[in-house]
Amino acid sequence: MRIIDKLKEKGEQTLKIASQMKIDEAEAYLVYNKVLTIRLVNNSIFEAKGIEDIGLGVRVILGNGLGFSSTSDLSQEGIIKTIESAIKATKTRTIPKNYSFPKPAKKPLIEGIYDKKLAELPEEEAVEIAFQMINESLNYSTKIEDNAGVLNIIEYHTVIMNTHGLCMDDSGTFFEASLTATAKEASTTSEGSKSIAGRSLDKLKANIVGKSAAKIAVDGLKAEKISEGEYQLILDATPTADITSYASMLVSPPIAKLYMPLFLNKIGEKIGSEILMLVDNPLMSGGIGSSSIDDEGVPSRKTTIIENGVLRTFVYDTFYAKLENRQSTGNAIREIFTAGISSLPGKNYNSEPIPLPRNPYIEPRDWKKKEIIEDTKEGLLSKFFHYTRITNPIRGDFTSVLRMGLYYIKNGEITYPVKKSRIMNNFFNILKNIDAISSELAVGGGWGSYTHAPTIRTKAHITPV
Amino acid sequence: MKDLALKSIEYALEKGVEYADARLEKHYNEVITASNGKIERAVVNRKQGIGIRVLVNGAWGFQSTTNLTMSGIKEAVNRAYRVAKASSKYIMQKVELAPVKTYVDSYKTQVKMDIEDISFEEKLSNIVKWEKEIHVNESIKHGLIDYTGIKIDKTFVNSEGTKIRFLNSITWITIKATSKEGEITQSYEEVIGHSGGYEIYQIQNIEEISRSIGEKACSLLKAEPVKTEKDAIVILDPNYLALLVHEIIGHPSEADRVLGREAAWAGTTWWTGKLGQQIGTEYLTVYDDPTIPGTLGYYLYDDEGVKARRKILIEKGILKEHMQSRETASIFNTEPNAGMRAITYEYIPLIRMSNTFWGEGDWTYEELIEDTKEGYLVIAMKEPSIDDKRYNWTISAQEGYKIQNGELTVHLRDIALSSTAPKFFKSVDAATKKAKILPIPGCGKGDPMQALYVGNGGPYIRGKATIVGVK
Repeated sequence: MRIIDKLKEKGEQTLKIASQMKIDEAEAYLVYNKVLTIRLVNNSIFEAKGIEDIGLGVRVILGNGLGFSSTSDLSQEGIIKTIESAIKATKTRTIPKNYSFPKPAKKPLIEGIYDKKLAELPEEEAVEIAFQMINESLNYSTKIEDNAGVLNIIEYHTVIMNTHGLCMDDSGTFFEASLTATAKEASTTSEGSKSIAGRSLDKLKANIVGKSAAKIAVDGLKAEKISEGEYQLILDATPTADITSYASMLVSPPIAKLYMPLFLNKIGEKIGSEILMLVDNPLMSGGIGSSSIDDEGVPSRKTTIIENGVLRTFVYDTFYAKLENRQSTGNAIREIFTAGISSLPGKNYNSEPIPLPRNPYIEPRDWKKKEIIEDTKEGLLSKFFHYTRITNPIRGDFTSVLRMGLYYIKNGEITYPVKKSRIMNNFFNILKNIDAISSELAVGGGWGSYTHAPTIRTKAHITPV
Repeated sequence: MKDLALKSIEYALEKGVEYADARLEKHYNEVITASNGKIERAVVNRKQGIGIRVLVNGAWGFQSTTNLTMSGIKEAVNRAYRVAKASSKYIMQKVELAPVKTYVDSYKTQVKMDIEDISFEEKLSNIVKWEKEIHVNESIKHGLIDYTGIKIDKTFVNSEGTKIRFLNSITWITIKATSKEGEITQSYEEVIGHSGGYEIYQIQNIEEISRSIGEKACSLLKAEPVKTEKDAIVILDPNYLALLVHEIIGHPSEADRVLGREAAWAGTTWWTGKLGQQIGTEYLTVYDDPTIPGTLGYYLYDDEGVKARRKILIEKGILKEHMQSRETASIFNTEPNAGMRAITYEYIPLIRMSNTFWGEGDWTYEELIEDTKEGYLVIAMKEPSIDDKRYNWTISAQEGYKIQNGELTVHLRDIALSSTAPKFFKSVDAATKKAKILPIPGCGKGDPMQALYVGNGGPYIRGKATIVGVK
């Protein structure tokens, strides 16, 4: 039996049991996750580990209450207990008037998000690919002393069913490959890091990861200290992805309301430069966060979040949309952020949906990356942020360590690598000072968090550390 | 069901592994969030599964599954075996495990009121009531209570004969107030929690604590911003110190980090190779101790079945010991000290902090303040910004006071401290008599990321750092 069919069978069983209980509406969300992680440490394979996880999340509406519970126990008893817990939880949370689970709708077809070759890649080959990253790095230069990194391969299948007759499934594959190389010359050491991510095996280029990480590390051996001051700052895809991820969190109504209110009450206000367009486009073929439906079965659509620097909208699932009397933007995501409760790299059945951008990116503009550098009289090029934080979620104080891959630009040319520095700025200032955006869209990020991202140029206060 | 763990080990041994261990776990979690008088989220999760770790030709393989049938277990062992065998071709050095005693034991966290026995209605009503207390006046624009309750029934077995069952229960709440007047916005938050049951919310007067957090957020609206001042004398309270200890002593004490194994993620540490060296003053003593009942980092055996004890990480300024796994202990040629934990069966264990805290000194709080002519009292952690070697650090605080002639004078807001770890360690000249361990629910490490709860803290200490005004 196919995994999807097994999940559907359990979904039908859940809805059948639920309908025999006194509930108004029920929803079953079933997940199968398979994760393979190969960790690389000290130029060798450190550990290889896998997760295989099946589970069920149940939401029920009873009267004016909405309840959620989840389980990995898919026996009849386990399902009953979960529905009972969800029913109990309805006493705690009031729904907006006329709230109802999504109705069946036609889903778009998205290409390039499930790759059988990646899903079925034998463990032995995955280990070889992971090790190839180390080899490429070591072959780049004899100055490379150490390498550490990871290869993650994820396959997921989900089924969402509810008592309106909605029954949809979604399947996807995802990989991330990341390497940090350390170069040494005399008593100087330097690091270089490169991460890539994608949805299909053909994009998994171990050689690019190894060489790029090694190049940054070797370049860094000649790094010089810069003086503290305000610099034009060109951000490669990876730091731009960090900015994008933060901006994305800020447009989730519950996150904004409860934890990070920076964009709250700023709809219609100019929060970024004229050329800044932030979109969420889960329809993108092969997109890092693309899928045909969101995590409550609403078909995907493209949403413009920031248009010419003006904050146009937050993103919504059905619940938060109804609270504001509007339509869902198809942005339900199931992720849990509580310590001690696992949030898997694939899909999570143990969380209620919350609205978050799914495949956000800054829209590319008309500059070539090369042109941005040529146009910069004096500035810095950064390829890597570390420990990025909005330290004050009300005012938007923003900090990150420019740990590696930092270069000085003089008269349109990359002149020399720069030693570790810290960026301290206001998040709005970073967005408002964007004056160039490249036409190329790459994948940037790391440590499980990736977005598509162009190269951008902004301004920031930089301090050497 | 418990036999499944043993059967997984038997099957792994049949396949010819050198070592195997398994964690069979059952989890119950509940999360409730209330804000501005309303419940925003209420979730109950149950999950169970097994994580099996094997050593084949000196290489690790791990697989977890929720399929708790014999065929599911066999498939998981087969996968763990396959990846370990494939990895073994690409290892520089075979994994060796430092020898440890075997144990058969069962223990549990002391619980007076089981979180599952308290009705959802009662929890809801309490949480909404506590949240309301935050709103002490109209300046409070936002109140928040995040409640978490976790119960874990874990059985650990390994191929050496160790078999341990641990029934754990942990709960905490985060209370946060945000105030605003004119252009000034301030916030204040505190975490209350322990390993134990719901009784903590009766032992502690949460309504009163909520009110005091609301009042602090309001009082900060009238506080003064600070100006940058280099080499200022600073007294750190246990709450602020908890984050400092966590970031610049706890994390760099993880032996995997010392060995460069976390280089691709959180980073490394500046004190690699400095064991036995003086890195601070006699007032710098730091422990990691999982054996303290009631703390968030409580356990008696780690996730490798190693019996826990108090670790002396730094003693009177001398770097003494790192947190070790059996594997890293073998590399350091030392005894394992029970540093390995995983958040659930889905993950392989990593070296983690348990309760890492600064040791007590010989001063009283009053003496410390009186003895300080010009300086700052820095209160309660906010946000860290630390480099990858844990060398340079900037950590903001929720509030502060100017100290003038041995007295607290001006109330301060938007304050942060900055220094390097060695410079700060060498500046500490006093610590008070009583250390406090606080609940720290969100410590991240690993890939995939494992967010774990730990304890951190210490007494009041005095040192020197740069005062930074947060704009």
